[in-house]
Amino acid sequence: MHMLTLADTAGIGIFFQQIENGITLGAMYALVALGYTLVYGIIELINFAHGDVFMWSTLVTLVVVQALGITGTLTGMALIGVLLLLIVIGVAVSAGLNVTIERLAYKPLRRAPRLAPLIAAIGASFILENAAQLWRGSSFVAFPAIFPPGKISIGSLSINYLDIFIVALAVALMIGLDRVIRLTRLGRAMRATAQDPEAASLMGVNIDRTIVYTFLIGGALAGATGVFYNLYIGQVWFLTGFQLGLIAFTAAVLGGIGNVNGAVLGGFLIGIINSLAIQYIPSGFQWSNAIVFAILVLILVFRPSGLLGQRVPDKV
Amino acid sequence: MSLPTSGQRQSWRAAAQTQITSTLDNTKIGQKNLRWYLTGWRMGIFWLVIAALVPWVLDTSLQVTAITICIYVMLALGLNIVVGYAGLLDLGYVAFFVIGAYTMAAGSFGFIQLANGDTKAVPSFPFWILLPAGAILAGFFGALLGAPTLRLRGDYLAIVTLGFGEIVPIVFNNVPYFFGPVGISAQPPNDIGPISFSDPSFPAPFYYLTLLIVVLIILAVLSLRGSSLGRAWVAIREDETAAASSGVNLVRTKLLAFGLGATVGGIGGVMNAAFTTSITPKDFSFNISITILIMVVLGGLGSVPGVILGAILLRFFDVYLLGQVNDAVHNSVLVAGNGAPLHFLAGVDFNTSKYLIYGLILVGMILVRPQGLIPDKRRTRELHGVGAAPESLSIVGIVAEEEAGVAVGGEGSEDETAFSGAGSDAQGRED
Repeated sequence: MHMLTLADTAGIGIFFQQIENGITLGAMYALVALGYTLVYGIIELINFAHGDVFMWSTLVTLVVVQALGITGTLTGMALIGVLLLLIVIGVAVSAGLNVTIERLAYKPLRRAPRLAPLIAAIGASFILENAAQLWRGSSFVAFPAIFPPGKISIGSLSINYLDIFIVALAVALMIGLDRVIRLTRLGRAMRATAQDPEAASLMGVNIDRTIVYTFLIGGALAGATGVFYNLYIGQVWFLTGFQLGLIAFTAAVLGGIGNVNGAVLGGFLIGIINSLAIQYIPSGFQWSNAIVFAILVLILVFRPSGLLGQRVPDKV
Repeated sequence: MSLPTSGQRQSWRAAAQTQITSTLDNTKIGQKNLRWYLTGWRMGIFWLVIAALVPWVLDTSLQVTAITICIYVMLALGLNIVVGYAGLLDLGYVAFFVIGAYTMAAGSFGFIQLANGDTKAVPSFPFWILLPAGAILAGFFGALLGAPTLRLRGDYLAIVTLGFGEIVPIVFNNVPYFFGPVGISAQPPNDIGPISFSDPSFPAPFYYLTLLIVVLIILAVLSLRGSSLGRAWVAIREDETAAASSGVNLVRTKLLAFGLGATVGGIGGVMNAAFTTSITPKDFSFNISITILIMVVLGGLGSVPGVILGAILLRFFDVYLLGQVNDAVHNSVLVAGNGAPLHFLAGVDFNTSKYLIYGLILVGMILVRPQGLIPDKRRTRELHGVGAAPESLSIVGIVAEEEAGVAVGGEGSEDETAFSGAGSDAQGRED
């Protein structure tokens, strides 16, 4: 799945190179994990469709690039313009889809037993995947390498400009999200709803609108990640969201689901673990999904509240 | 609340009168209504006779279809134990199907593949030993998988099972011994005297064998439902905390749900391998897990007849109807004489959009009719948010309440009668 750029030196150089790859991957995992954790924090639902919402951003931005007739590297204003356009479109597609799913499939089930919205979520995921397959087929399609290939070398470690771009933008988005949650009215409403929806609604918080905004923000982050993913991996596939969704969910659980900082930490950790596993475990690439799954089970056994999560008793 | 007018009072009395008479009518011997004949074991025997007639009535290809339907009925019944009875969402049910199938194939083939690519002869076992072996192995893995997630909420279980369903085929694909992506062959069941289970032109013996196993599974899940274990499943499904405080052993109950559900899945896998005699890891995708889940949701969570109907309908749709619809649309007036499509439907391949349709069925059912086509009475009330409030204290009175609900006729269809009003009041207090 990942086109790894290995440094040609052995030993410690490879190790750091893998860490660097892991950080870039981890930034993307973290952004998707945030979508899971935000929604879970507010309505305690695993939004299974979230990974596929991300995938639709990769798909639509690919179609846009093809429609624009772009096949190679861009520079200067063209690069900035196209990147901006892709991010806007990706964000719009994913945020729109996420909110639509919430309105159509989850909202009517808000008072139903747990199983119902969970089944609706897996159904929504299934629909998104198969609609994508119907639309663009089931084979991998290459996304043109529009980002210039330059890199910085520090000793044996080389860092692509693209990696810097992705990590910087991802971190900026995370800081922005943190600001929104901590400082704005909406953020306060989100925190209040997460704590106790009934009390929040008595205090005048519009629960319904808060939920919509949560899905909107989660979807927007996934949409931006879709563009980063296309630039970095360069392969568009209808099941990408399924795989990356499972990884990102594991990241959210590792950090403590419902905890925003935890999702970021978990994302970076899983990215690094995944990169190192591919490098150091024999035929690690074939097993990388199994490794992520094993991590998930281990967390659930030994520390189900995650690294930063609090252990809370079940609400009765 | 204002006092009822005399007119209202009269109509209540009249309604009460009718209710009493109709109750009497129902109990009077010799005047049973049609519904009485169409419920319970009588209906079961009726359908069993119909099913037994299949090889006499249908041609070979439809008999083959009937066998695959039977296998899916098994799988749906097994998943129904986990999702329908115990309310634990299992999204990787295909894993147990794979384990059963590979037990059958690897156990009967007689060869394994070593890491260097050579094959090595190993003892091969007959179907009759591998059937219980596959069931037990799948059940063991079911319990093993459930174990780490027992302390957690159902949502985690869903994602862990989803991962498990992905990983198990990967294991069979990557580990030596199982011939990787090429897959492995299975020996069909040994002949019993003159009866051959492997004659492709005469699938009737295999059909009857499969049908027999389906009937045994149906009897097992029906008796499980009424057992103390079955009631414990209902209790944890409705409210885990209340169930635990009423003395239900959560660990044991959940593990048994998972283990027994997986056992049935393993049996389905063994039967599938014995029937197709060739399996590859690719045959066992996430799509199958979801397809089985859709069968359960379509028919009715927790309802045995519903789940059977769901499996039959979806299989029928898959192997028969989809192709028909496709041909009908593509050969119809929508296509011009030169083959150019006149309508966008003519450009749609209905076979590839199958899973999209499945997804729409799943979400549609959950939104519009969550209780399924043949609903389970108790489940219906839960899914509509009636009588399943978290503060439910009904663990002890589950059976009593269920029966009371039926006897009073308080299903909400006769809102204007005095009796059903009283019935729902009583329910409200009980819950």
